[in-house]
Amino acid sequence: MNFERLNAYRIMWVIVMFDMPTETRIDRKRYAKFRKQILDDGFNMFQFSMYIRHCMSRENAEVHVQRVKKILPQKGHIGILCITDKQFGQMEIFNGKEAAEALLPAQQLELF
Amino acid sequence: MIKRTLYFGNPAYLKTKNEQLLVELADTGEVKTAAIEDIGVLILDHQQITITHSVIAKLLANNVALITCDDIHLPTGLMLNLDGHTLQSQRFQLQVDASVPLKKQLWQQTVTAKITNQANLLAQYRIPNKTLLNLAARVKSGDSDNCEAQAAGYYWKNVFPLFPGFKRFREGEPPNNLLNYGYAVLRAIVARNLVGSGLLPTLGIFHRNQYNAYCLADDIMEPYRPYVDKVVYDIIRGNGKFLELTPSMKQQLLGIPAMDVVIDGGKSPLMNAVQRTTASLAKCFEGNSRKLLYPVLPPSFV
Repeated sequence: MNFERLNAYRIMWVIVMFDMPTETRIDRKRYAKFRKQILDDGFNMFQFSMYIRHCMSRENAEVHVQRVKKILPQKGHIGILCITDKQFGQMEIFNGKEAAEALLPAQQLELF
Repeated sequence: MIKRTLYFGNPAYLKTKNEQLLVELADTGEVKTAAIEDIGVLILDHQQITITHSVIAKLLANNVALITCDDIHLPTGLMLNLDGHTLQSQRFQLQVDASVPLKKQLWQQTVTAKITNQANLLAQYRIPNKTLLNLAARVKSGDSDNCEAQAAGYYWKNVFPLFPGFKRFREGEPPNNLLNYGYAVLRAIVARNLVGSGLLPTLGIFHRNQYNAYCLADDIMEPYRPYVDKVVYDIIRGNGKFLELTPSMKQQLLGIPAMDVVIDGGKSPLMNAVQRTTASLAKCFEGNSRKLLYPVLPPSFV
């Protein structure tokens, strides 16, 4: 099965970006809790305060968007974005001036 | 939703962190992660895999079919969770109380679907299949004439033209080993989806061998077997040599859950099709329907 065929199911990437206050102890605690919760939901850090998750279908992406909405912290500026696998694949990534390898989506079958 | 299949054929240490599966590969020291809720089937096929109890508990909580293999790399065990569905005890009760006529009708539909798929597979390879088509049309309630066995006799004699004397049995000559492997994967998928639909994979509609723990899975997987046969046929065609299972063959056989099948007029991955079949079976037990939904192999290449 080729990947284009799987892509017909609308493989999506959910991106959560956030800026949260860290002045007081309680703010930092809220920040740490929020970060832990999105890690528990299967998000991975892409950059500081920017977490991404691969979702096999549009419906699945919606589930994870809803989960993030449920745990929104009291303070802070948060963005949730869904983009298709194709759009995600067009992202250019650099380490300094050197081009870095693009992230690969989770394969349906993986052999370790 | 297409669940993932993970196969472990090398020494690895499986543990969990942040509700994710962490895989430490022993040779390279590399650490990889996978979301446990996205996994459908997980296969352990190396004697040096270490797995923590919390990984097993979390896998089962997410209704993952956990397959373990023996030292000759054939699947030996299948682990499923105890509560796969909220209405489980109600569904179990309905399943136990299912009437004999209903079970016979369901078995008739199953055998018809199986023989039709076998016939269509032969048609794809331009092998004469008139006998099978006739048999498929003649299946009676409960398959009292045992058309299934008659069809199997003809089918196995003709399906692998490269092996004129081929006999299908579990400990038989290759490519029986490939078939066993593929069927074991298929059985795990079916059993997993039965549990997910709140049914008991142990109580069959036709199979009732007292030593078999997955009678219902064996019933429901029948019409899906030709899909495995198709993969095996393609492996034989492509390789010629298949006395031993190579990783590339396993990769092809493990692609079965993602294979495209046509069910109810639409294309869908095999794993999702099985889900629809088991859901339709649950409806039959509930008394809301009398029709099992099975995929149909197209008689020619699409």
